[in-house]
Amino acid sequence: MSLEVQTRQVDSGATVVAPTGRLDVAGAPALKDAISEALKSGQAKVVIDMEGVSFVDSTGLGSVIAALKQIRSSQGDLRLAAPNQQVRVVLELTTLDRVFPYYSTVEEALTGF
Amino acid sequence: MRSSAEPFEFHATLSHLDEGLETLHESVQKLREATGRDKNDRNVMHFEIALAEIGANVLTHGRPSGEHPPVEYILKLDHDTARASLIDAGPPVDDFLSRAMPDPTSEAGRGLPMARWLLDELLYKRDGEVNKWRLVKHL
Repeated sequence: MSLEVQTRQVDSGATVVAPTGRLDVAGAPALKDAISEALKSGQAKVVIDMEGVSFVDSTGLGSVIAALKQIRSSQGDLRLAAPNQQVRVVLELTTLDRVFPYYSTVEEALTGF
Repeated sequence: MRSSAEPFEFHATLSHLDEGLETLHESVQKLREATGRDKNDRNVMHFEIALAEIGANVLTHGRPSGEHPPVEYILKLDHDTARASLIDAGPPVDDFLSRAMPDPTSEAGRGLPMARWLLDELLYKRDGEVNKWRLVKHL
């Protein structure tokens, strides 16, 4: 299993989804499932804590874009927190850093969210 | 950075998606160790991203339903140049060289354009009943 995902709710009502491992073609379905579960429970503000993600590929990135679309269609929003160097390189390379402004920490992402 | 004069070769056969990808990442980690690069070394990182994209493509489409033989993988280091080859017995891959980076909101289609951009050479050849991929990156 390339990816494990933990989900927690914070006092502001937002949901923090924390994947651990490789967010790639093998791991992306686990993230999609976790986001769908969060939306089912009515949480439309989601932070993906990327600190535990060791590597992301284009399919993993696609799952984050799918999550963003799904969440925005529920009138919510998605923020990315704590991506490592490799994740930032892929975001910049694909110009998705313009779609996903990322935050250094989860706390920063939750501020004013 | 250590000299990479020492020969480095990694061979594997890849049969399953998750384990196959894990093996590709392991091979890049061994390459880092052999060349004294750290995990944030930009060139090795670019090579790893491209290798994972092509590897995912090959392991997903090159072995549909798992009925084809395993994917043959070789990684060599040659005078500070990483050379990887992947051979699969899946169907031919059409028009891969012409694929462009999709719209930012697209959920798919970035893998091959990214790999092409990150590598010094990305070659694909249909050879009889197999697909041959060659990835080259000057480190």
